[in-house]
Amino acid sequence: MSTRQKDAVSVHTAVPGTSVHASPLARTLRALACDRLALTGIIIVGVLLFAALLAPLIAPQNPYDLAQLDIMDGRLAPGSESMTGTVYLLGTDDQGRDLFSAILYGLRTSIFVGIISAAIALVIGASIGLVSAYAGGRTDAVLMRIVDIQLSFPAILIALIFLAVLGQGVDKIIIALVVTQWAYYARTVRGSALVESKRAYIDAARSMALPDRRIIFRHILPNCLPPLIVVATMRVAYAIMLEATLSFLGIGLPVTEPSLGLLISNGFEYMLSGDYWISVFPGITLLLLIVGINLIGDSLRDILNPRREG
Amino acid sequence: MTSPILSISGLTTEFKVDGQWRDVIRDISFDIGARETLAVVGESGSGKSVTAMSIMRLLGANARSHGRIDFEGQDLLSLPLENMQAVRGNRIGMIFQEPMTSLNPVLKIGDQITEVLMQHRGLDHRAATAEAIRLLDKVRIPSAAARLNEYPMNFSGGMRQRVVIAIALACEPKLLIADEPTTALDVTIQAQILELIKTLQEEEDMSVLFITHDMGVVAEISDRTVVMYRGDVVETDTTERIFGNAAHPYTRALLSAVPQLGSMAGEPRPLRFPIVDMETGEAAPVKPTADTVRRNGEPILKVDNLVTRFPVRKGILRRTVGRIHAVEDVSFEVRAGETLSLVGESGCGKSTTGRSIIRLTEMTSGTVEIDGRNVGEASKTGLVEIRREAQMIFQDPFESLNPRMRIGQAIAEPMIAHGLAHATVARERVAALLEQVGLSPVMADRFPHEFSGGQRQRICIARALALDPKVIVADESVSALDVSIKAQVINLMLDLQEELGLGYLFISHDMAVVERISHRVAVMYLGEIVEIGPRQAVFENPQHDYTRKLMAAVPIADPTRRRTRQISSDEIRSPYRAADYQPPKRLYREISDGHLVQIDAEAA
Repeated sequence: MSTRQKDAVSVHTAVPGTSVHASPLARTLRALACDRLALTGIIIVGVLLFAALLAPLIAPQNPYDLAQLDIMDGRLAPGSESMTGTVYLLGTDDQGRDLFSAILYGLRTSIFVGIISAAIALVIGASIGLVSAYAGGRTDAVLMRIVDIQLSFPAILIALIFLAVLGQGVDKIIIALVVTQWAYYARTVRGSALVESKRAYIDAARSMALPDRRIIFRHILPNCLPPLIVVATMRVAYAIMLEATLSFLGIGLPVTEPSLGLLISNGFEYMLSGDYWISVFPGITLLLLIVGINLIGDSLRDILNPRREG
Repeated sequence: MTSPILSISGLTTEFKVDGQWRDVIRDISFDIGARETLAVVGESGSGKSVTAMSIMRLLGANARSHGRIDFEGQDLLSLPLENMQAVRGNRIGMIFQEPMTSLNPVLKIGDQITEVLMQHRGLDHRAATAEAIRLLDKVRIPSAAARLNEYPMNFSGGMRQRVVIAIALACEPKLLIADEPTTALDVTIQAQILELIKTLQEEEDMSVLFITHDMGVVAEISDRTVVMYRGDVVETDTTERIFGNAAHPYTRALLSAVPQLGSMAGEPRPLRFPIVDMETGEAAPVKPTADTVRRNGEPILKVDNLVTRFPVRKGILRRTVGRIHAVEDVSFEVRAGETLSLVGESGCGKSTTGRSIIRLTEMTSGTVEIDGRNVGEASKTGLVEIRREAQMIFQDPFESLNPRMRIGQAIAEPMIAHGLAHATVARERVAALLEQVGLSPVMADRFPHEFSGGQRQRICIARALALDPKVIVADESVSALDVSIKAQVINLMLDLQEELGLGYLFISHDMAVVERISHRVAVMYLGEIVEIGPRQAVFENPQHDYTRKLMAAVPIADPTRRRTRQISSDEIRSPYRAADYQPPKRLYREISDGHLVQIDAEAA
């Protein structure tokens, strides 16, 4: 065997230790870190995520504990001092709740609801999309018509109907969000799975008689990930926004678990009387979160563009 | 030579990559005389297309060129870009590789030609239409006037390339740049287009700059030849001297890797390619192949009356209005250690035959037996067993490996998925397989994008070997590779056949490669085998008209054997038939032992 020529080998031997040796994931992460806009997004989202996670440690007050609230501190301007001497950094709402604490806790709820609902919708939607593309024929036609019907209704309308039937609560709103979102994932994954399943490496896998399950999850799915990741990031932002909208309308989360949307809604009636902070600070937080996620999503879309892959 | 029409000296073109200028071609110099055909030849990455694009200044903002490009006494590089417009299309015409995409699909052919005439030559609509008809006549498109109102989709690939040439000729250019104009075409169509370019050159008094990777085409068409290698011109000389007495080792290495049709006369067995050292230009002695064919016992692959048809459906009710008769009543056998080649042009059903055999495509009728087991009747588990015996290698090594799987995993996957080996055993086997195909075992951790085309094809071969198959279906497996890499991969396939006694079903459109590698050959046309037999019999004594036509069309990489040959102007016909079409039963005539020829239905 040693006599076999190896001249073809030397032509393209990669330099050890350089980036060419890395997995696609590692390459994507490195590209993200080099992108200034993406980095801004990561920092914004990272800070907000940490603040939300550590809320019980950072927040000066537990906004859910009614015993800690003092109605006499209601509607204090940012920076003012309470009777007991604590400083309300971002002011208080009408019930004397510290807004800074309320935002931290609200962020927690918003992000939790957004990520969990997006994750569930992703798993359901991606599976349906993969099955649809791989099975083809009638299965594909039926599944995709359901997706069409689903997408022809405004998301907010479907969510409203579901919440009207189910009632309020974190679990209920997650269900409503999953129902409105899965179709986007299904359509995205089906599109790229159709393209991938026509490529020769899938023929190669079939000619080796690999089981269908393995072909779908080990060969097709990993190659559909780039568009899926982009859609997922954008959809997390959208889910958070939708939840805020529903809460703002008063049919999302209960008043005992205020999310950012509910906080904005709480301050809404005082806007004209000059107590801007009750609505504006939760609003800015929501804006930062959405912009941050979208910045990451945009950069991911550029980085994961197949035309850029070498 | 008279004073040159185009004179390039010291041309260097750089591209901006990651913020840095990198030179892609360096210090290119050559001249083209009036009425001369100059070929620029090189493998992929040699910079031949960049040279053409630099002349036309079509490279865009992330590229820059310096040096001199003198065209009719004017330096094109110092010309303001606006003035290039008067040169492009007007005085230099250009045709590209892909005839399917270089015409606008939503505009009528006539409008696409008259547009150029009205823009560049200031003709009014009526004069332009008359001129367009004249041009289509000139490129030998039958009933030109009637075809003006048709869209590109109504034209075949060869006809489209004629239209593209007509557009390039519209302004009577002094120089025609042809960038791989025949690479995407079938060999009989390629012969027609080459013939056309030669005729037009004489009629129009043009010079031609012909860019190609195909030494056969070079020998066929060019007066002088420039050989490029990785951005440098390594040799410029008359075509006769390049082929007869090349000075540079690279040129010699390139030429020795080019299979020449007819060079195998008198050779009973397949032959390895001589591998020439790129530095010294010395060819290593060729080890003759052993006789690998096992003639006694049952054949490893047996195909009887295979038929594969694809229904064409229309309307809401999806009624079958016709069928593509991709494979029609095909029968053959392959023995262990034997290579049977299926050869033919695009659409002849050779790939569908290969896919039907391992049931990647469902056959309509017929039987296929692999190692005595019937493929068509196999259950799902039975099919798993059969696919272990028969593996496939695909055409495009960039497409047939999962880009997100390390190659070690990819090779180990079939063994693990079939429960044949545990992870540690599989890893050792992967290392052994990589060695066997001439790669290093340490490469197992890399991803496909880190390999060159030839290396990837070696990986695909290693993966196909993982299950210890007895027969391998190689579907155009070397067609996408550069000549020198192609020669190495074919040598590897011959080595493996000797070591493992593999049977190959080698599917290819390339007659010269087929002649080199096969024991037996089957020529396919419109889904049917028109001629089958031992390689020597088919190549040295072709009986069917189509086989002869196919062989006559292959360009020979030897300018001294340039033929004044009869080029048939036939189009390749379509295998589409009406739904109620009953194909006639074909009869075969035995010429000599095992050499069968289809009896022409009309003649019989």
